[in-house]
Amino acid sequence: MGHLIGKEYYLDHVIEVAKSIVLAIHKAPQITGKTKIEAEIIWGEDLEPIIEVMGPVAKVMRYIQWDYETIKKCYEKGESPVIINIGAKVSKSNLNWNCGACGHDTCKEFNAYSKEYKGGGQMGGPSCNWKVLDWAMACDWACASAWQYRVDNRIMGSVGFALHALGFLPDMDANIGLVLGPPRDMVYYNREEMHKSMSYEMDKQDMVNCVPTMFTAFPGGGTPMYKTKDDWWAPPEFMGIGYSEEAMEMYQQLLFEEVPEIVVKHADKIEARYKDKKK
Amino acid sequence: MKKYVEDLNFQGEEYISDWPSWSPQDIRRKKCALESARLMVDAAMTAPFAGGVPSIEAHIVYGQEELEAVARKVEEIAHQQESWKEAFLYEAVMVRDSDVIIFLGNTRCHETPLDAGCGMCGGTLDCGYFYEQKTQKYGLVDITDRSSERMIDGPLCTARVGDLGYAVGSALWAAATLMVDARPFASMGMAGQKMGYCPKSGMVVGVPLAVKPKNPYVDVNVDYHLINMDKVLDNTRKIYQTARIIRGFDYRKWIPKPKKSEGPEGDDE
Repeated sequence: MGHLIGKEYYLDHVIEVAKSIVLAIHKAPQITGKTKIEAEIIWGEDLEPIIEVMGPVAKVMRYIQWDYETIKKCYEKGESPVIINIGAKVSKSNLNWNCGACGHDTCKEFNAYSKEYKGGGQMGGPSCNWKVLDWAMACDWACASAWQYRVDNRIMGSVGFALHALGFLPDMDANIGLVLGPPRDMVYYNREEMHKSMSYEMDKQDMVNCVPTMFTAFPGGGTPMYKTKDDWWAPPEFMGIGYSEEAMEMYQQLLFEEVPEIVVKHADKIEARYKDKKK
Repeated sequence: MKKYVEDLNFQGEEYISDWPSWSPQDIRRKKCALESARLMVDAAMTAPFAGGVPSIEAHIVYGQEELEAVARKVEEIAHQQESWKEAFLYEAVMVRDSDVIIFLGNTRCHETPLDAGCGMCGGTLDCGYFYEQKTQKYGLVDITDRSSERMIDGPLCTARVGDLGYAVGSALWAAATLMVDARPFASMGMAGQKMGYCPKSGMVVGVPLAVKPKNPYVDVNVDYHLINMDKVLDNTRKIYQTARIIRGFDYRKWIPKPKKSEGPEGDDE
Protein backbone atom coordinates (compact mmCIF):
# COMPACT_ATOMS: atom_id res chain seq x y z
CA MET A 1 0.00 0.00 0.00
CA GLY A 2 1.25 3.46 -0.69
CA HIS A 3 0.66 6.76 -2.34
CA LEU A 4 3.13 8.96 -4.22
CA ILE A 5 2.21 12.47 -5.24
CA GLY A 6 4.00 15.77 -5.76
CA LYS A 7 7.61 16.41 -6.74
CA GLU A 8 9.42 14.97 -3.72
CA TYR A 9 10.11 11.54 -5.20
CA TYR A 10 11.21 12.85 -8.62
CA LEU A 11 14.88 13.27 -7.71
CA ASP A 12 15.08 9.80 -6.17
CA HIS A 13 13.63 8.31 -9.30
CA VAL A 14 15.88 10.27 -11.68
CA ILE A 15 18.81 8.88 -9.68
CA GLU A 16 17.40 5.37 -10.20
CA VAL A 17 17.06 6.07 -13.91
CA ALA A 18 20.66 7.36 -13.93
CA LYS A 19 21.77 4.00 -12.53
CA SER A 20 20.05 2.24 -15.44
CA ILE A 21 21.70 4.65 -17.87
CA VAL A 22 25.10 3.78 -16.40
CA LEU A 23 24.35 0.14 -17.22
CA ALA A 24 23.73 1.20 -20.84
CA ILE A 25 27.06 3.09 -20.84
CA HIS A 26 28.88 -0.08 -19.89
CA LYS A 27 26.81 -2.20 -22.29
CA ALA A 28 27.57 0.05 -25.28
CA PRO A 29 29.43 -1.72 -28.10
CA GLN A 30 33.09 -0.88 -28.71
CA ILE A 31 35.19 -1.07 -31.85
CA THR A 32 38.44 -1.84 -30.04
CA GLY A 33 37.03 -3.72 -27.07
CA LYS A 34 39.97 -2.23 -25.15
CA THR A 35 38.74 1.21 -24.06
CA LYS A 36 38.32 1.66 -20.33
CA ILE A 37 35.17 3.56 -19.46
CA GLU A 38 33.87 4.63 -16.07
CA ALA A 39 30.80 6.57 -14.98
CA GLU A 40 29.59 8.22 -11.79
CA ILE A 41 26.35 9.89 -10.73
CA ILE A 42 26.38 13.32 -9.07
CA TRP A 43 23.50 15.39 -7.67
CA GLY A 44 22.48 17.81 -4.92
CA GLU A 45 25.22 19.62 -3.02
CA ASP A 46 27.90 17.76 -4.95
CA LEU A 47 26.91 19.82 -8.00
CA GLU A 48 28.09 23.01 -6.32
CA PRO A 49 31.81 22.80 -7.27
CA ILE A 50 30.83 21.98 -10.86
CA ILE A 51 28.50 24.97 -11.03
CA GLU A 52 31.17 27.14 -9.41
CA VAL A 53 33.83 26.21 -12.00
CA MET A 54 31.42 26.82 -14.87
CA GLY A 55 30.68 30.32 -13.52
CA PRO A 56 33.78 32.22 -14.68
CA VAL A 57 33.90 30.29 -17.98
CA ALA A 58 30.30 31.32 -18.62
CA LYS A 59 31.46 34.94 -18.75
CA VAL A 60 33.46 34.32 -21.93
CA MET A 61 31.63 31.41 -23.58
CA ARG A 62 27.99 31.86 -24.48
CA TYR A 63 27.24 28.12 -24.74
CA ILE A 64 28.75 27.53 -21.32
CA GLN A 65 26.74 30.45 -19.96
CA TRP A 66 23.55 28.78 -21.18
CA ASP A 67 24.44 25.43 -19.60
CA TYR A 68 25.71 27.07 -16.40
CA GLU A 69 22.68 29.24 -15.79
CA THR A 70 20.19 26.49 -16.62
CA ILE A 71 21.80 24.03 -14.21
CA LYS A 72 22.33 26.69 -11.53
CA LYS A 73 18.78 28.01 -11.67
CA CYS A 74 17.28 24.51 -11.54
CA TYR A 75 19.50 23.63 -8.57
CA GLU A 76 18.73 26.86 -6.71
CA LYS A 77 14.99 26.38 -6.94
CA GLY A 78 15.23 22.90 -5.50
CA GLU A 79 15.03 20.95 -8.77
CA SER A 80 18.52 19.46 -8.74
CA PRO A 81 19.64 18.04 -12.06
CA VAL A 82 21.44 14.69 -11.89
CA ILE A 83 24.75 14.56 -13.73
CA ILE A 84 26.35 11.41 -15.07
CA ASN A 85 30.07 11.87 -15.57
CA ILE A 86 31.19 9.58 -18.39
CA GLY A 87 34.95 9.18 -18.38
CA ALA A 88 37.32 7.23 -20.58
CA LYS A 89 40.99 6.48 -20.89
CA VAL A 90 41.84 7.68 -24.38
CA SER A 91 45.29 9.23 -24.18
CA LYS A 92 47.26 6.00 -24.55
CA SER A 93 46.96 3.45 -27.34
CA ASN A 94 47.34 -0.24 -26.60
CA LEU A 95 46.14 -1.16 -30.10
CA ASN A 96 49.37 -1.09 -32.12
CA TRP A 97 47.23 -0.45 -35.21
CA ASN A 98 49.55 2.32 -36.47
CA CYS A 99 46.65 3.73 -38.50
CA GLY A 100 47.82 7.36 -38.53
CA ALA A 101 44.50 8.92 -37.46
CA CYS A 102 46.18 10.71 -34.53
CA GLY A 103 48.81 12.28 -36.80
CA HIS A 104 51.63 9.93 -35.84
CA ASP A 105 52.97 7.06 -37.95
CA THR A 106 52.84 4.56 -35.11
CA CYS A 107 51.03 4.06 -31.82
CA LYS A 108 54.44 4.01 -30.14
CA GLU A 109 55.20 7.52 -31.41
CA PHE A 110 51.75 8.68 -30.30
CA ASN A 111 52.26 7.26 -26.82
CA ALA A 112 55.62 9.03 -26.50
CA TYR A 113 54.04 12.33 -27.60
CA SER A 114 51.06 11.79 -25.33
CA LYS A 115 53.25 11.15 -22.33
CA GLU A 116 54.72 14.62 -22.77
CA TYR A 117 51.54 16.57 -23.55
CA LYS A 118 48.92 14.59 -21.63
CA GLY A 119 46.11 16.69 -20.23
CA GLY A 120 47.30 19.91 -21.85
CA GLY A 121 44.00 20.75 -23.53
CA GLN A 122 40.87 22.20 -21.99
CA MET A 123 39.20 18.82 -22.40
CA GLY A 124 42.32 16.70 -21.93
CA GLY A 125 44.01 15.20 -24.97
CA PRO A 126 45.94 13.96 -26.87
CA SER A 127 43.63 11.14 -27.90
CA CYS A 128 43.64 7.87 -29.79
CA ASN A 129 40.76 8.42 -32.21
CA TRP A 130 39.54 4.82 -32.06
CA LYS A 131 39.29 5.07 -28.29
CA VAL A 132 37.43 8.35 -28.62
CA LEU A 133 35.00 6.57 -30.97
CA ASP A 134 34.41 3.89 -28.33
CA TRP A 135 33.89 6.55 -25.66
CA ALA A 136 31.53 8.52 -27.91
CA MET A 137 29.45 5.40 -28.56
CA ALA A 138 29.10 4.90 -24.80
CA CYS A 139 28.07 8.56 -24.41
CA ASP A 140 25.55 8.14 -27.22
CA TRP A 141 24.08 5.06 -25.56
CA ALA A 142 23.73 7.12 -22.40
CA CYS A 143 21.78 9.79 -24.30
CA ALA A 144 19.64 7.23 -26.12
CA SER A 145 18.95 5.44 -22.85
CA ALA A 146 17.89 8.71 -21.19
CA TRP A 147 15.51 9.45 -24.05
CA GLN A 148 14.09 5.95 -23.73
CA TYR A 149 13.24 6.76 -20.11
CA ARG A 150 11.72 10.06 -21.28
CA VAL A 151 13.97 12.11 -18.99
CA ASP A 152 15.01 15.47 -20.37
CA ASN A 153 18.76 15.38 -20.92
CA ARG A 154 21.69 16.94 -22.73
CA ILE A 155 25.27 15.83 -23.11
CA MET A 156 27.49 18.81 -22.20
CA GLY A 157 31.13 19.52 -22.93
CA SER A 158 30.83 22.49 -20.57
CA VAL A 159 30.11 20.17 -17.65
CA GLY A 160 32.86 17.85 -18.92
CA PHE A 161 35.33 20.73 -18.70
CA ALA A 162 34.37 21.37 -15.06
CA LEU A 163 34.50 17.67 -14.15
CA HIS A 164 37.91 17.34 -15.79
CA ALA A 165 39.29 20.45 -14.10
CA LEU A 166 38.01 19.37 -10.68
CA GLY A 167 39.53 15.90 -10.96
CA PHE A 168 36.37 13.82 -11.00
CA LEU A 169 37.12 10.21 -12.05
CA PRO A 170 40.86 10.79 -11.67
CA ASP A 171 41.82 7.53 -13.41
CA MET A 172 40.14 8.69 -16.63
CA ASP A 173 41.62 11.29 -18.95
CA ALA A 174 38.49 12.45 -20.78
CA ASN A 175 35.17 13.43 -19.21
CA ILE A 176 31.80 14.60 -20.41
CA GLY A 177 28.61 15.28 -18.46
CA LEU A 178 25.16 13.96 -19.28
CA VAL A 179 22.73 16.19 -17.42
CA LEU A 180 19.36 14.63 -16.53
CA GLY A 181 16.14 16.17 -15.33
CA PRO A 182 14.42 17.89 -13.62
CA PRO A 183 11.45 16.06 -15.08
CA ARG A 184 10.02 18.68 -17.39
CA ASP A 185 9.92 19.02 -21.16
CA MET A 186 12.82 20.74 -22.90
CA VAL A 187 14.79 21.95 -19.87
CA TYR A 188 18.01 21.95 -21.91
CA TYR A 189 16.67 22.79 -25.37
CA ASN A 190 14.09 25.57 -25.41
CA ARG A 191 15.49 26.54 -22.00
CA GLU A 192 12.68 28.12 -20.05
CA GLU A 193 15.25 28.89 -17.34
CA MET A 194 16.93 31.31 -19.73
CA HIS A 195 13.80 33.18 -20.80
CA LYS A 196 14.11 36.95 -20.47
CA SER A 197 17.87 36.68 -19.86
CA MET A 198 18.77 38.03 -23.28
CA SER A 199 17.64 41.24 -24.92
CA TYR A 200 16.70 41.52 -28.56
CA GLU A 201 19.79 43.67 -29.13
CA MET A 202 22.12 41.08 -27.57
CA ASP A 203 20.59 38.32 -29.67
CA LYS A 204 20.93 40.36 -32.83
CA GLN A 205 24.53 41.34 -32.04
CA ASP A 206 25.38 37.66 -31.48
CA MET A 207 24.06 36.88 -34.95
CA VAL A 208 26.09 39.71 -36.48
CA ASN A 209 29.20 38.42 -34.71
CA CYS A 210 28.64 34.75 -35.50
CA VAL A 211 27.03 34.82 -38.95
CA PRO A 212 28.35 38.04 -40.54
CA THR A 213 27.58 36.84 -44.08
CA MET A 214 23.89 37.33 -43.31
CA PHE A 215 24.50 41.04 -42.76
CA THR A 216 27.04 41.77 -45.51
CA ALA A 217 26.10 44.47 -48.03
CA PHE A 218 27.43 44.61 -51.60
CA PRO A 219 30.95 43.16 -51.41
CA GLY A 220 32.16 44.46 -54.78
CA GLY A 221 34.08 47.36 -53.26
CA GLY A 222 36.26 45.04 -51.20
CA THR A 223 35.35 46.54 -47.81
CA PRO A 224 31.62 45.93 -47.53
CA MET A 225 29.25 47.76 -45.24
CA TYR A 226 27.37 45.73 -42.67
CA LYS A 227 23.58 45.96 -42.33
CA THR A 228 23.41 46.11 -38.55
CA LYS A 229 20.40 48.47 -38.32
CA ASP A 230 17.33 49.31 -40.35
CA ASP A 231 18.91 52.38 -41.97
CA TRP A 232 22.24 50.64 -42.34
CA TRP A 233 23.54 53.11 -44.91
CA ALA A 234 23.25 56.18 -42.71
CA PRO A 235 25.94 56.17 -41.47
CA PRO A 236 27.34 52.79 -42.66
CA GLU A 237 29.22 50.38 -40.36
CA PHE A 238 32.24 48.22 -41.20
CA MET A 239 33.63 45.02 -39.69
CA GLY A 240 36.94 45.19 -37.86
CA ILE A 241 39.20 42.18 -37.38
CA GLY A 242 42.17 42.25 -35.06
CA TYR A 243 43.92 40.79 -32.06
CA SER A 244 42.01 41.48 -28.86
CA GLU A 245 44.26 41.89 -25.89
CA GLU A 246 41.22 42.26 -23.67
CA ALA A 247 39.65 38.98 -24.85
CA MET A 248 42.92 37.07 -24.54
CA GLU A 249 43.63 38.48 -21.09
CA MET A 250 40.20 37.47 -19.92
CA TYR A 251 40.77 33.98 -21.36
CA GLN A 252 44.18 33.61 -19.71
CA GLN A 253 42.91 34.91 -16.38
CA LEU A 254 40.04 32.49 -16.52
CA LEU A 255 42.09 29.40 -17.37
CA PHE A 256 45.15 30.11 -15.26
CA GLU A 257 43.74 32.01 -12.29
CA GLU A 258 39.99 31.85 -11.69
CA VAL A 259 39.36 28.18 -12.52
CA PRO A 260 42.48 26.88 -10.69
CA GLU A 261 41.48 28.89 -7.59
CA ILE A 262 38.10 27.20 -7.48
CA VAL A 263 39.64 23.81 -8.24
CA VAL A 264 42.11 24.14 -5.35
CA LYS A 265 39.22 24.98 -3.02
CA HIS A 266 37.44 21.70 -3.79
CA ALA A 267 40.26 19.40 -4.88
CA ASP A 268 41.00 17.71 -1.54
CA LYS A 269 37.38 16.83 -0.87
CA ILE A 270 36.89 15.42 -4.37
CA GLU A 271 40.18 13.52 -4.30
CA ALA A 272 39.38 12.05 -0.91
CA ARG A 273 36.15 10.60 -2.24
CA TYR A 274 38.02 8.37 -4.69
CA LYS A 275 40.65 7.43 -2.14
CA ASP A 276 37.92 6.39 0.28
CA LYS A 277 36.26 4.26 -2.42
CA LYS A 278 39.54 2.47 -3.13
CA LYS A 279 39.97 1.47 0.51
CA MET B 1 0.44 19.30 -59.80
CA LYS B 2 0.67 15.50 -59.84
CA LYS B 3 -1.59 13.94 -57.26
CA TYR B 4 -0.68 10.96 -55.14
CA VAL B 5 -2.67 7.98 -56.37
CA GLU B 6 -3.21 5.49 -53.63
CA ASP B 7 -2.64 1.85 -54.49
CA LEU B 8 -5.42 -0.05 -52.78
CA ASN B 9 -4.46 -3.44 -54.17
CA PHE B 10 -3.54 -4.76 -50.73
CA GLN B 11 -3.12 -8.50 -51.01
CA GLY B 12 -0.25 -10.91 -51.33
CA GLU B 13 2.03 -13.27 -49.46
CA GLU B 14 5.71 -13.27 -48.71
CA TYR B 15 7.57 -16.45 -47.89
CA ILE B 16 10.71 -15.67 -45.90
CA SER B 17 13.51 -18.00 -44.87
CA ASP B 18 17.27 -17.81 -44.45
CA TRP B 19 17.87 -20.95 -46.48
CA PRO B 20 19.04 -21.62 -49.12
CA SER B 21 21.25 -18.57 -49.43
CA TRP B 22 20.28 -16.15 -52.17
CA SER B 23 17.00 -18.01 -52.84
CA PRO B 24 13.93 -15.74 -53.34
CA GLN B 25 12.91 -16.33 -49.72
CA ASP B 26 16.40 -15.44 -48.50
CA ILE B 27 16.51 -12.29 -50.62
CA ARG B 28 13.17 -11.26 -49.07
CA ARG B 29 14.79 -11.70 -45.65
CA LYS B 30 17.72 -9.56 -46.74
CA LYS B 31 15.30 -6.88 -47.87
CA CYS B 32 13.91 -6.79 -44.31
CA ALA B 33 17.48 -6.26 -43.11
CA LEU B 34 17.84 -3.43 -45.61
CA GLU B 35 14.78 -1.73 -44.10
CA SER B 36 16.44 -1.97 -40.68
CA ALA B 37 19.65 -0.52 -42.10
CA ARG B 38 17.75 2.50 -43.39
CA LEU B 39 16.19 3.06 -39.96
CA MET B 40 19.65 2.72 -38.39
CA VAL B 41 20.90 5.47 -40.70
CA ASP B 42 17.95 7.63 -39.59
CA ALA B 43 19.11 7.16 -36.00
CA ALA B 44 22.73 7.96 -36.94
CA MET B 45 21.70 11.19 -38.63
CA THR B 46 19.80 12.39 -35.54
CA ALA B 47 22.54 11.59 -32.99
CA PRO B 48 23.74 14.44 -30.76
CA PHE B 49 26.56 16.36 -32.48
CA ALA B 50 28.85 19.11 -31.18
CA GLY B 51 27.17 22.40 -32.02
CA GLY B 52 24.43 20.59 -33.96
CA VAL B 53 26.68 20.73 -37.02
CA PRO B 54 25.90 18.33 -39.91
CA SER B 55 28.98 16.19 -40.54
CA ILE B 56 27.83 12.62 -41.08
CA GLU B 57 27.41 10.77 -44.37
CA ALA B 58 26.30 7.19 -44.86
CA HIS B 59 26.55 4.52 -47.51
CA ILE B 60 24.38 1.40 -47.40
CA VAL B 61 25.94 -1.50 -49.30
CA TYR B 62 24.36 -4.88 -50.08
CA GLY B 63 24.48 -7.66 -52.65
CA GLN B 64 26.69 -10.70 -53.14
CA GLU B 65 29.32 -9.04 -55.33
CA GLU B 66 29.40 -5.86 -53.28
CA LEU B 67 29.94 -7.63 -49.95
CA GLU B 68 32.53 -9.96 -51.48
CA ALA B 69 34.48 -6.91 -52.68
CA VAL B 70 34.42 -5.43 -49.17
CA ALA B 71 35.52 -8.76 -47.66
CA ARG B 72 38.45 -8.99 -50.06
CA LYS B 73 39.50 -5.43 -49.27
CA VAL B 74 39.43 -6.23 -45.54
CA GLU B 75 41.61 -9.29 -46.26
CA GLU B 76 44.03 -7.16 -48.27
CA ILE B 77 44.35 -4.66 -45.40
CA ALA B 78 44.73 -7.50 -42.87
CA HIS B 79 47.98 -8.56 -44.49
CA GLN B 80 49.45 -5.06 -44.36
CA GLN B 81 50.10 -5.17 -40.64
CA GLU B 82 50.74 -8.00 -38.21
CA SER B 83 48.62 -6.40 -35.47
CA TRP B 84 45.59 -6.35 -37.76
CA LYS B 85 46.05 -9.71 -39.43
CA GLU B 86 44.15 -12.24 -37.38
CA ALA B 87 41.28 -10.03 -36.23
CA PHE B 88 40.73 -8.50 -39.66
CA LEU B 89 40.77 -11.92 -41.37
CA TYR B 90 38.07 -13.06 -38.94
CA GLU B 91 36.11 -9.89 -39.71
CA ALA B 92 36.27 -10.52 -43.46
CA VAL B 93 34.33 -13.73 -42.78
CA MET B 94 31.76 -11.64 -40.91
CA VAL B 95 31.38 -9.37 -43.95
CA ARG B 96 30.43 -12.38 -46.08
CA ASP B 97 27.99 -13.51 -43.38
CA SER B 98 26.28 -10.09 -43.26
CA ASP B 99 23.13 -9.01 -45.07
CA VAL B 100 23.94 -5.32 -45.36
CA ILE B 101 26.83 -3.04 -44.41
CA ILE B 102 26.36 0.57 -43.36
CA PHE B 103 29.37 2.83 -43.71
CA LEU B 104 29.25 5.94 -41.57
CA GLY B 105 31.81 8.68 -42.07
CA ASN B 106 32.60 12.13 -40.78
CA THR B 107 33.01 14.71 -43.54
CA ARG B 108 34.61 17.39 -41.36
CA CYS B 109 37.18 15.69 -39.14
CA HIS B 110 40.00 16.15 -41.71
CA GLU B 111 38.93 19.42 -43.31
CA THR B 112 36.61 21.63 -41.25
CA PRO B 113 37.31 21.05 -37.53
CA LEU B 114 35.15 22.27 -34.67
CA ASP B 115 37.77 25.02 -34.04
CA ALA B 116 36.81 25.17 -30.36
CA GLY B 117 40.33 24.76 -28.99
CA CYS B 118 39.31 21.75 -26.89
CA GLY B 119 42.78 20.20 -27.16
CA MET B 120 41.50 16.64 -27.46
CA CYS B 121 43.59 16.02 -30.61
CA GLY B 122 47.01 17.09 -29.37
CA GLY B 123 46.72 18.11 -25.75
CA THR B 124 47.26 21.80 -26.45
CA LEU B 125 45.17 24.88 -25.60
CA ASP B 126 44.32 25.63 -29.22
CA CYS B 127 43.78 23.88 -32.57
CA GLY B 128 47.44 24.30 -33.60
CA TYR B 129 48.23 20.59 -33.35
CA PHE B 130 45.75 19.90 -36.16
CA TYR B 131 46.44 22.88 -38.43
CA GLU B 132 50.24 22.74 -38.17
CA GLN B 133 50.25 19.28 -39.72
CA LYS B 134 47.87 20.16 -42.57
CA THR B 135 48.31 21.93 -45.88
CA GLN B 136 46.21 25.00 -45.17
CA LYS B 137 45.82 28.72 -45.68
CA TYR B 138 44.17 30.89 -43.04
CA GLY B 139 42.54 27.84 -41.52
CA LEU B 140 41.15 26.50 -44.78
CA VAL B 141 42.52 22.98 -45.22
CA ASP B 142 43.54 21.88 -48.72
CA ILE B 143 42.47 18.23 -49.05
CA THR B 144 43.03 17.95 -52.79
CA ASP B 145 46.13 15.78 -52.35
CA ARG B 146 44.46 12.61 -51.16
CA SER B 147 47.59 10.46 -51.25
CA SER B 148 48.78 9.24 -47.87
CA GLU B 149 51.22 6.66 -46.64
CA ARG B 150 49.05 6.14 -43.60
CA MET B 151 45.85 4.15 -43.53
CA ILE B 152 44.09 7.24 -42.16
CA ASP B 153 45.44 10.67 -43.06
CA GLY B 154 45.61 12.20 -39.60
CA PRO B 155 45.63 14.22 -37.51
CA LEU B 156 41.88 14.53 -37.34
CA CYS B 157 39.66 16.83 -35.32
CA THR B 158 38.93 14.60 -32.34
CA ALA B 159 35.70 16.42 -31.54
CA ARG B 160 34.42 15.51 -35.01
CA VAL B 161 35.62 11.92 -34.53
CA GLY B 162 33.56 11.97 -31.35
CA ASP B 163 30.55 13.02 -33.42
CA LEU B 164 31.13 10.00 -35.64
CA GLY B 165 31.12 7.84 -32.53
CA TYR B 166 27.75 9.27 -31.50
CA ALA B 167 26.38 8.51 -34.99
CA VAL B 168 27.64 4.93 -34.87
CA GLY B 169 26.28 4.59 -31.34
CA SER B 170 22.82 5.73 -32.41
CA ALA B 171 22.83 3.35 -35.39
CA LEU B 172 23.68 0.50 -33.03
CA TRP B 173 21.06 1.59 -30.51
CA ALA B 174 18.47 1.46 -33.31
CA ALA B 175 19.71 -2.00 -34.29
CA ALA B 176 19.38 -3.19 -30.71
CA THR B 177 15.86 -1.76 -30.53
CA LEU B 178 14.93 -3.50 -33.80
CA MET B 179 16.51 -6.77 -32.56
CA VAL B 180 18.84 -7.04 -35.55
CA ASP B 181 22.46 -8.03 -35.03
CA ALA B 182 25.05 -5.33 -35.75
CA ARG B 183 28.56 -4.40 -34.60
CA PRO B 184 30.98 -1.56 -35.39
CA PHE B 185 34.28 -2.41 -37.09
CA ALA B 186 37.45 -0.45 -37.86
CA SER B 187 38.55 -2.99 -40.49
CA MET B 188 35.40 -2.57 -42.55
CA GLY B 189 35.51 1.18 -42.12
CA MET B 190 39.08 1.36 -43.44
CA ALA B 191 38.20 -0.98 -46.32
CA GLY B 192 35.08 1.00 -47.18
CA GLN B 193 36.99 4.28 -47.13
CA LYS B 194 39.69 2.88 -49.44
CA MET B 195 36.94 1.60 -51.78
CA GLY B 196 35.45 5.09 -52.02
CA TYR B 197 32.43 4.67 -49.78
CA CYS B 198 31.59 7.82 -47.78
CA PRO B 199 33.71 9.75 -50.29
CA LYS B 200 33.83 13.03 -48.39
CA SER B 201 34.88 11.55 -45.06
CA GLY B 202 38.20 11.60 -43.23
CA MET B 203 37.29 8.62 -41.08
CA VAL B 204 34.81 5.81 -41.70
CA VAL B 205 33.34 3.06 -39.51
CA GLY B 206 31.69 -0.05 -40.94
CA VAL B 207 28.54 -1.35 -39.28
CA PRO B 208 27.46 -4.68 -40.77
CA LEU B 209 24.09 -6.09 -39.84
CA ALA B 210 22.47 -9.45 -40.18
CA VAL B 211 19.04 -10.92 -39.59
CA LYS B 212 19.96 -14.55 -38.98
CA PRO B 213 19.38 -17.17 -36.30
CA LYS B 214 23.04 -16.85 -35.24
CA ASN B 215 24.64 -13.48 -34.68
CA PRO B 216 27.63 -13.53 -37.10
CA TYR B 217 29.71 -11.09 -35.04
CA VAL B 218 30.07 -13.02 -31.77
CA ASP B 219 31.06 -16.50 -30.59
CA VAL B 220 33.73 -17.09 -33.22
CA ASN B 221 36.10 -20.04 -33.10
CA VAL B 222 39.88 -20.05 -33.44
CA ASP B 223 41.12 -19.73 -37.03
CA TYR B 224 37.73 -18.38 -37.98
CA HIS B 225 38.98 -17.42 -41.43
CA LEU B 226 39.68 -21.14 -42.05
CA ILE B 227 36.83 -22.72 -40.13
CA ASN B 228 33.47 -21.04 -40.65
CA MET B 229 30.06 -21.87 -42.08
CA ASP B 230 31.05 -21.21 -45.71
CA LYS B 231 34.11 -23.41 -45.33
CA VAL B 232 32.17 -26.11 -43.48
CA LEU B 233 29.60 -26.23 -46.27
CA ASP B 234 32.30 -26.27 -48.93
CA ASN B 235 34.09 -29.07 -47.11
CA THR B 236 30.84 -31.02 -47.01
CA ARG B 237 30.65 -30.65 -50.76
CA LYS B 238 34.25 -31.82 -50.99
CA ILE B 239 33.93 -34.86 -48.68
CA TYR B 240 30.45 -36.16 -49.29
CA GLN B 241 30.84 -36.67 -53.05
CA THR B 242 33.85 -38.89 -52.55
CA ALA B 243 32.12 -40.79 -49.76
CA ARG B 244 29.39 -41.73 -52.30
CA ILE B 245 31.86 -42.83 -54.91
CA ILE B 246 33.64 -45.37 -52.75
CA ARG B 247 30.44 -47.38 -52.05
CA GLY B 248 28.21 -47.47 -55.08
CA PHE B 249 25.25 -49.74 -55.85
CA ASP B 250 22.29 -49.89 -58.24
CA TYR B 251 19.46 -48.74 -55.95
CA ARG B 252 16.88 -50.19 -58.38
CA LYS B 253 18.15 -53.71 -57.71
CA TRP B 254 19.47 -53.69 -54.17
CA ILE B 255 19.63 -51.30 -51.20
CA PRO B 256 21.55 -52.32 -48.12
CA LYS B 257 19.36 -52.62 -44.99
CA PRO B 258 20.10 -53.02 -41.29
CA LYS B 259 20.55 -56.63 -40.37
CA LYS B 260 17.43 -57.99 -38.56
CA SER B 261 17.78 -61.78 -38.97
CA GLU B 262 20.10 -64.44 -40.29
CA GLY B 263 20.87 -64.24 -43.96
CA PRO B 264 22.69 -61.95 -46.35
CA GLU B 265 22.55 -58.18 -45.57
CA GLY B 266 19.64 -56.43 -47.31
CA ASP B 267 17.92 -59.73 -48.06
CA ASP B 268 15.38 -59.66 -45.18
CA GLU B 269 12.34 -59.82 -47.42
